[in-house]
Amino acid sequence: MNYKFIILFIFTCVSAVKAQKFEYSSLLIPENLKENANSIIRFQSINVNIISQKSLEIKTKKAITVFNYKGLSNVDAREYFSKSEKINAIEAIVYNSFGKEIKRIKRSDFKDQSVVDGFSILTDGRTLFLDYTPTEYPFTIVFESETKTSNTAFLPSWSPIDDYFESVEKSDISIHFPSDLGFKLKEINFEGRNILKNLQANSITYSVENLVAERPEDFSPSENKVLPKVKFSLEKFFLEGVEGNIKNWSEYGSWTYNNLLSDTEAISDETKTKIKMLVGNESDPIKKARIIYQYVQDKTRYVSIQLGIGGWKPMLAKEVDRLGYGDCKALANYTRVLLKNVGVQSFYTVIYGNQNKKDFEQDFVSMQGNHIILALPDNEKLIFLECTSQSSPFGYQGTFTDDRFALLVKPEKGEIIKTNEYSEKASCQIGKGKYEIDQDGNLSGNFEIKSKGIQYANKYTLESNSKENTEAYYKAYFSWINNLKLEKISFKNDKETIEFSEDLKLYAQNYGTINGSSMVFAVNAFDQNSNVPQRYRNRKNPLEISRGFYDESEMEVILPQGFKLESKPDNFEIKGKFGEYKMELSVGSNKIIFKRYLLINKGIYDKSEYENYRKFREQIAKSDNSKIVLTKNQ
Amino acid sequence: MKRKYLLIIICILGSVKNYAQKYKLDNVTIEELQEKVCPKDAGASAAILFQKGRTYFEFNQNTGFTLITEVETKIKIYKKEGYDWANKAVSIYIGGNSDENVDFSKAVTYNLINGQIEKSKLKSDGEFFEKINKYWSKRKIALPNVKVGSIIEYKYTLKSPYISTFPDWQFQNTIPVYYSEYSTDIPEYYFYNVYRKGFFTAIETKDKLPKSIRIDEKSAVGGVIKGGFTHDIQEINYVMNRTIYKLENVPALKEESFVNNIDNYTASLQHELSGKKMPQSPFESFSTTWEDVTKKIYDNDDFGTQLNKNNYYEANLKAFLTGLTTPEEKITAVFKYVQSTMNWNKFYSYTCDDGVKKAYDTKVGNVAEINLMLVSMLRYIDLNANPVLVSTRANGISLYPSRTAYNSVIASVLINGNLLLLDATSKFAKVGILPIRDLNWLGRMIKKDGTSEMVELMPKQSSMDVVKALVTLDKDGIFSGQIREQHLDYNALRWRENYSGLSNDNIVENKEKENKGLEISDFELTESANLEETLGEKYAIKASNSAEIIGDKMYFSPLIYFATKENPFKQDKREYPVDFSYPFMDKYMFNITIPDNYQVESLPKPMALAMADNYGTFNYTVTNTGNKIQLMVTLDVKTSIIPAEDYLTLKEFFKTAIEKQNEKIVLKKI
Repeated sequence: MNYKFIILFIFTCVSAVKAQKFEYSSLLIPENLKENANSIIRFQSINVNIISQKSLEIKTKKAITVFNYKGLSNVDAREYFSKSEKINAIEAIVYNSFGKEIKRIKRSDFKDQSVVDGFSILTDGRTLFLDYTPTEYPFTIVFESETKTSNTAFLPSWSPIDDYFESVEKSDISIHFPSDLGFKLKEINFEGRNILKNLQANSITYSVENLVAERPEDFSPSENKVLPKVKFSLEKFFLEGVEGNIKNWSEYGSWTYNNLLSDTEAISDETKTKIKMLVGNESDPIKKARIIYQYVQDKTRYVSIQLGIGGWKPMLAKEVDRLGYGDCKALANYTRVLLKNVGVQSFYTVIYGNQNKKDFEQDFVSMQGNHIILALPDNEKLIFLECTSQSSPFGYQGTFTDDRFALLVKPEKGEIIKTNEYSEKASCQIGKGKYEIDQDGNLSGNFEIKSKGIQYANKYTLESNSKENTEAYYKAYFSWINNLKLEKISFKNDKETIEFSEDLKLYAQNYGTINGSSMVFAVNAFDQNSNVPQRYRNRKNPLEISRGFYDESEMEVILPQGFKLESKPDNFEIKGKFGEYKMELSVGSNKIIFKRYLLINKGIYDKSEYENYRKFREQIAKSDNSKIVLTKNQ
Repeated sequence: MKRKYLLIIICILGSVKNYAQKYKLDNVTIEELQEKVCPKDAGASAAILFQKGRTYFEFNQNTGFTLITEVETKIKIYKKEGYDWANKAVSIYIGGNSDENVDFSKAVTYNLINGQIEKSKLKSDGEFFEKINKYWSKRKIALPNVKVGSIIEYKYTLKSPYISTFPDWQFQNTIPVYYSEYSTDIPEYYFYNVYRKGFFTAIETKDKLPKSIRIDEKSAVGGVIKGGFTHDIQEINYVMNRTIYKLENVPALKEESFVNNIDNYTASLQHELSGKKMPQSPFESFSTTWEDVTKKIYDNDDFGTQLNKNNYYEANLKAFLTGLTTPEEKITAVFKYVQSTMNWNKFYSYTCDDGVKKAYDTKVGNVAEINLMLVSMLRYIDLNANPVLVSTRANGISLYPSRTAYNSVIASVLINGNLLLLDATSKFAKVGILPIRDLNWLGRMIKKDGTSEMVELMPKQSSMDVVKALVTLDKDGIFSGQIREQHLDYNALRWRENYSGLSNDNIVENKEKENKGLEISDFELTESANLEETLGEKYAIKASNSAEIIGDKMYFSPLIYFATKENPFKQDKREYPVDFSYPFMDKYMFNITIPDNYQVESLPKPMALAMADNYGTFNYTVTNTGNKIQLMVTLDVKTSIIPAEDYLTLKEFFKTAIEKQNEKIVLKKI
């Protein structure tokens, strides 16, 4: 026993001496790390000690130099706590640019606050955080904390780059683990990064130095595909009183079912009778599911309540039945229970819900995901139900859950599946209309737009907008038409075919600009796409177009009396790997037929292609805005 | 006169009975549940059918008066988007000696099921308590079984030991309100100022009611040994003043751009304690006039006395003022000293927290600590400096005399008849240039003798943006050349708030992002750090998307890509004044050389446009000599605020000016 203590003592002495040696002066930071940096992590050291299946200690020490107020939010000196997670120590010291200590912040000076995420009606998580007002820039904060928890289902991961405009001088993590808990890890996006690794029998260490600040770039793959990260996990873990022993997805699924779902299924006889009556004699499982889904949409609403088992266990089905609300878990599970009661099988599905597609990592069995949907088998296919929405059509997936890997939870096993993807042509928008220009350049016309697939998602919420917001939407949508007046707006939302139609009647004063005896206007009045990606001098990330689409339109243009066509844009066509575009005019007496289509392909390309894509879109934007010139008959 | 009053009273009496039934909880009708669309606003996702509040005092012999506010609400849900109205949260203050508390009761959802009204009551599992931080917590409810068409009701009772302010009463909301009623029962001992806001005025009725409180005075008789007590029950009679405010059919609040703070226009009531008169005691005033208010503030230890302390900075101040002679130099030097050494902790107040001395030592302080320190230093060097109380834009406009009308303080100094305003909490402010948050109508200057006067906070002088271009247009329709931009006064402040700390590359990329086909090189910033100098940007451009070649003609706006493309005023109607924060003038002076093989076919005609009431002017001239084109454009908006009545004039002015900016020069191939 004594022996152990001595070793520990020497060890701490050494580290204390070492710590003193570190220079907090910000004058010593290498120049190359300052470029684009609002702050620099001088060092970050995370020490994770897995003591047992039910005990985990984390020590963090982080020194960050902040150059200006924009870097202040990167300090992020905070720890979370709850019933099962304790903060044993937390403190911070502030140094000025010469490395002289200017302030010491004790635990009692940290602010204690509920984790308010803006939408939860209730969470039981709390946080201690540092709210520091700098007296000078640059300054350096050294933040140290020690936390302890019995939850080992989530181990901290290592993300040395966790903010944009922030360089990293040094970052490391070391994890000590008992050999009998099935410790595993996954390294992500290590290519091109000089990351050192030291693997021992019961510990592993990663470290990296001199990472130059990154900037966000449009059309980049999401951070999880670009930034380096190491994830850690245990096969044998503990989560809020529940033990787990999971080696593969199959076991993971059955664990989830048995611990989180199986005891939530009870439901009153009254409700059983009610839904059986609703379904009646219907025998087709999909048709039955449509009826139940509609019932749930009408009956429930989304209320976020993040309580119990870290927010992982859904509310009991009978509670949802009685209260008529719940979060994503509760509502998906409730729908599943109702379906089960009318003899339709469906599966609780764990997924990452995000506009930026994020996959379940198939090769790393661990607790993942932030959202729950329901999967309904339809022969060989799966239909996915979003149970938190009261207006989404049956089986429709928007950008929040489309095209990504997720985990299907069956009672006996789990299974990784992929959610449905909309092809470019399936995400289409078809426009058709007619407009007339009078002698003063005023435009009046009508345009009908039909949207499907992913483009449906951008549109169907229009239905529920207020009149003012709808008008504001169209004035922004047709941003190239000044003085736009919407004389009629009507919508048709076909939830069966999942198609949204807009029927518009428009008027715009002085759409045609009159210069002396000529009149100029963009012939494509209703379907311009002016999105041109930003130019980057020195782009670092690959180009990703995460979703493709297809737009097609046709317009009949009636020219004013007393004018003749002086010039018109040439027909234009462009084809390439990014997509296709074609614009075509056919001139009749006194009228023009305008046709156009645009196809953008989904894809991921090398960063060198970015500039080509930009040029591609630039040509399209230019063609879409090309003008015709009319002159007055003398 | 009398007849009119009588009429009103009859009207009110006539409808009382009706009100009584309609505006009671647990009185839901099938017709109400069947209603599909809000008859008063077809787009409304929900509507408040009625909301009734009552604030009264409860007497307890040990604790005195407690303020009790009861609120009853009945809401109809018309659309799924209105579901959030079925969640309600009430914040309570727990940071003082005794806590506030709130209780929900009678929370019920009503649905129509097969022609029958079904009631679902809120149970304890639908009620939540959350501690936000050490000052505030929240009680929340989520009503059960809410569907489209449901009617929900709840009542809550808020008990507060803080009688100095009542909870604010909002007659108006983001959804329509059919009926809103607020009543106050105030014992004769207390006097409150009532502040009204918004475009809708509530009907008010007053009444006096006799009341009494019983005080049980226990006193021992015959010593402790005998153990006897007498109970001397005293009954005190007093008058209770009842005021009832009623407002019907209040439309939903509309959001608009260029609005200072929507709260300024929301129909609402505020109550603030102005005085108290206890039996056998003299009247004690809290605030009634601006003079009373300022006197109170001046007497406050955290305000007035803070101005008189100077020993903490004396030595330092003397050192850096040596060599400076004119008062202007000294003002700038003192301001820059406070601005650069002190750091604002983001707290607003016109009183100090830790005091100026502690703030000076730690270099961190709230608004009062920083700006009162500044006033004190300016006074120390014998300048006529005074604090000015302000209400920040986020706090709303201060229309009535009250201590809570203001939430912040700045400094002023009178020099040669000019009043300069200063706020050292912003790193980008200057003498005479305040951070935008302070630009909110009127402030109140408090002088040494405790008297006070109104101070206009809105800037009078236009802040300029000047753009100069010296460019050549080539035969392919590409512009290239030099651009210089200068940003002055408030435009400089805004620029620095947005861009300081960004690298030049980032600034350039931002510009390129906003303008298709623009490439920028050789970017240089002048004096972005030195606030006293003119902020300038200088760069070379290549703009490939600003001219169009159609046939043998070339079309372009002489403003190249600087023409405003869209009218910011698109809506046909306006509810609230347009608030630009400060007057501004944009000035463009361009010199364009056209390609050799082209000649000018047509030039836009000059234009001089003035808005009514001297709100603004627009001037445009373009001339051509040989292969050179000269452009001079100024857009001058001379006032910070334009009333809603004049909205259409403003919209038309911008429309005409923007169309002119986008008019094209036509070149023809020779």
